[in-house]
Amino acid sequence: MAAVAAVTLQERTDGLMAGPATASLGFTATTHTLGNGLRVVLSEDHVDPVAAVCLWYDVGSRHERPGRTGLAHLFEHLMFQGSANVHGNEHFEFVQSAGGSLNGTTSFERTNYFETMPAHQLELALWLEADRMGGLLQALTEESLENQRDVVKNERRQRYDNVPYGTAWERLVAMAYPEGHPYHHMPIGSMADLDATSLADCQEFFRTYYAPNNAVLAIVGDVDPEQTLAWVEKYFGTIPAHDGKPVPADGVLPPVLGAELREVVRENVPSPALMAAYRMPADGTRGADAAEIALTILGEGESSRLNTRLVRHDELALYAGVGLMRQAGTASVGMLDVKASGSGAVAAIDSALAEEFARFAAEGPTPAELERAQAQLERAYLDTMATVGSRADELCRYATLFGDANLAFTALERLLEITAEEVRAVAAERLVPENRAVLVYEPTDDADENEEQVA
Amino acid sequence: MTQTGEMVFHPRPGAGPAREWTFPTPERFVLGNGLAVLRVDRPGQKVVAVELVLDSPLAAEPAECEGVATIMARAFTEGTDRMGAEEFAAELERCGATIDSDADHPGVRVALDVPASRLERALGLLADAVRAPAFPAAEVDRLVRQRLDEIVHELASPPRRAALALSGTLFDASMRLSRPRAGSAESVARVDRAAVWDFFTAHVRPQTATLVVVGDFAGVDVTDVLERTIGTWSAQPAEPSRPAPVLADDHARVLIVHRPGSVQTQLLVGRVGPGREDASWPALTIGTYCLGGTLTSRLDRVLREEKGYTYGVRAANQSLQEGSLLAIQGSVETDVTGPAVADLVAVLRTLAAEGLVDGERDAAVQSIVGVAPLKYVTPRAVCDSLADMAAERQPDGYLPQLYLRLAEVATKDAAEAVSAGFDPEHLVVVLVGDADKIREPLEALELGPVTVVE
Repeated sequence: MAAVAAVTLQERTDGLMAGPATASLGFTATTHTLGNGLRVVLSEDHVDPVAAVCLWYDVGSRHERPGRTGLAHLFEHLMFQGSANVHGNEHFEFVQSAGGSLNGTTSFERTNYFETMPAHQLELALWLEADRMGGLLQALTEESLENQRDVVKNERRQRYDNVPYGTAWERLVAMAYPEGHPYHHMPIGSMADLDATSLADCQEFFRTYYAPNNAVLAIVGDVDPEQTLAWVEKYFGTIPAHDGKPVPADGVLPPVLGAELREVVRENVPSPALMAAYRMPADGTRGADAAEIALTILGEGESSRLNTRLVRHDELALYAGVGLMRQAGTASVGMLDVKASGSGAVAAIDSALAEEFARFAAEGPTPAELERAQAQLERAYLDTMATVGSRADELCRYATLFGDANLAFTALERLLEITAEEVRAVAAERLVPENRAVLVYEPTDDADENEEQVA
Repeated sequence: MTQTGEMVFHPRPGAGPAREWTFPTPERFVLGNGLAVLRVDRPGQKVVAVELVLDSPLAAEPAECEGVATIMARAFTEGTDRMGAEEFAAELERCGATIDSDADHPGVRVALDVPASRLERALGLLADAVRAPAFPAAEVDRLVRQRLDEIVHELASPPRRAALALSGTLFDASMRLSRPRAGSAESVARVDRAAVWDFFTAHVRPQTATLVVVGDFAGVDVTDVLERTIGTWSAQPAEPSRPAPVLADDHARVLIVHRPGSVQTQLLVGRVGPGREDASWPALTIGTYCLGGTLTSRLDRVLREEKGYTYGVRAANQSLQEGSLLAIQGSVETDVTGPAVADLVAVLRTLAAEGLVDGERDAAVQSIVGVAPLKYVTPRAVCDSLADMAAERQPDGYLPQLYLRLAEVATKDAAEAVSAGFDPEHLVVVLVGDADKIREPLEALELGPVTVVE
């Protein structure tokens, strides 16, 4: 559904996609910095008459203060409610009426906005993004806040509260990152905090974080670089810089939890489940790439170890998979998801998992497993780089989080350099019982009984 | 905080000169074994998309073991005459490839994605999967047990539950469309290797299938590669299947599927309408977009952007083998279910009474036609659309023609088509939610008899 704002579990997928490239793609990017600090990344691709505009603001839910969770995401919605020269929903109307597509998403570490346009409509997208970067407050009203607050609360109900297991990742994230840690809460936020958010909070949030010197703009596709830079200078160049952004709270954590955390949820879910979060190395490190490969071998694809053991052989699970939620400012999280089969019990699942993880940590991957994981990650990387829109997003990601957009084009090479021993080592250090937060679901028949207990 | 100067605002810029774009018309040829091939070249794209469209409609499933097409589709990758199931999966992944098989009403579709450098190896695996599937009894039995477990999860999903309920009440009980695509728990439990084998031999053959291949084929003799791989598949010829006419009952009524404790109500409003064969299809497509294609369409303008009742409500016209399913779907907060449905109906009545304005029509045309070059960048997107058209037996030039016709739809025709299609006097309203809270408000709206099921 083309609706504003996908909150973050998409980062799980993003993480898995972030791979590398044996096939040389032949893309290059140049970076330019305007006088007000806006970094601009350009990458030409003239195959199709399309151009992508992607803007990353270096602000996410980790920047929110206590009592105002969900503000970064709610604010993302307000960015589509008009600005100095754009009335009401015209941002959507102008882009779609120009044959473009658009959206925005909020994660722990950033907020992104993107338009993919027919190439001859590129200037319109730049004008729209500049108008709200510099002129949002001129149009921000109590009325639009009230409306989008209700929309976001319905987004939360639809994606979390009205879905079986819908709050599982929110609970696990809260266990993996302790109380008070900037990543402890999900970008969707809590109902109470959404209710408490005032217009003044939103205005202050904009003044603090929505600045050209806190953003990266990537433009990818069938564009003339000189003309494009001239437009960027014209529309964005006079937006004032400001430097009032506070240093985000420290995300440093010990590499492992220290002792297993476990919660049992009794709810009206269709089957028992065992889900878990493991602290993993931060994004941008070799450790994160090694973790990506380890998790791919363990739980991505039909021939992965967990699928083979739990789904095929023992038939304990209907589904068994893992993914990596990469975070640059703190530990990443390895996410384990096992839904029990009709005959699978949680205790049996747990002991099969323990065996598989221990064996992998002791022996590491076989050469065949490493080859398969590399081939799968290569295809995923090629898919990511196949569209101007996702390429622009990757360029923004590397520029914002790691200071160099061109790292996007060498990500696959880095992933393919990882050795079997590195994969084994990260599993031995991190995929251990002392480093996991576990959430067990036990079904009840009665929907009204919704009790949670700590085992 | 430091501020330097004031921003200079500029007037909204216009568009530059457009580069021409048309949907690629595929090259068609037939392999020696009778398999029709549609080929499109997408230079610069590193992953090739392949899709095999089989003439194995769900209507051909024996009534007692519906779901057999789904089990067969999944069992294609469970081993061949050359490899066991696990070896097959490992080989496929070694190519960096994925195969996804799915059984829908027109037939089974088998989709392969693979980096161009490993195309022939992966096509060899796809060929083996349909040429000589082993369908091992133990794997088929396991897939059946897995499918039975899945059904439990599907019934817990509000959108899935709503779709099942709408199909069940809207379509005549004699129609395969009225029952779950992948079978019921009862019928799936009866599927075994023999049933899969019978369905396979009766309905899977190259002569009635189509293979779509899209990608960068620089330096590759595609025909040669296809002949060496999928060209080795053979079977006895048979006549193509014939779709049955759609029988549906769309007298206005409300069906509530009781889901105690729901914080939202899942909404699915539907009826049957004209299909692609009807002259009004392009107008219906534009009109439906004006009604509910995006968050600035009529429905979300009220339900989302004015009232905040929902994260989003969408309208769609989905073509069936004959005719179409017209539907509005979304989810709304439980406490405002009555007002939200009332607003939805009011939006339809206003549209019927007042029509559309040119600006709405223009935006819809631009959004649907103008967005096509973006939508069809990846081989997978082009491949999916061509496979859809092959499954619906549309001519190869159908999509380029459709885009030309969409661009010419008149405002008045779009309004008439969507008003006639989404006529409030003929809507079946399905609500999955807490019946204790939403039944009375729905009865008060007088949209037809209200039934509650567990």
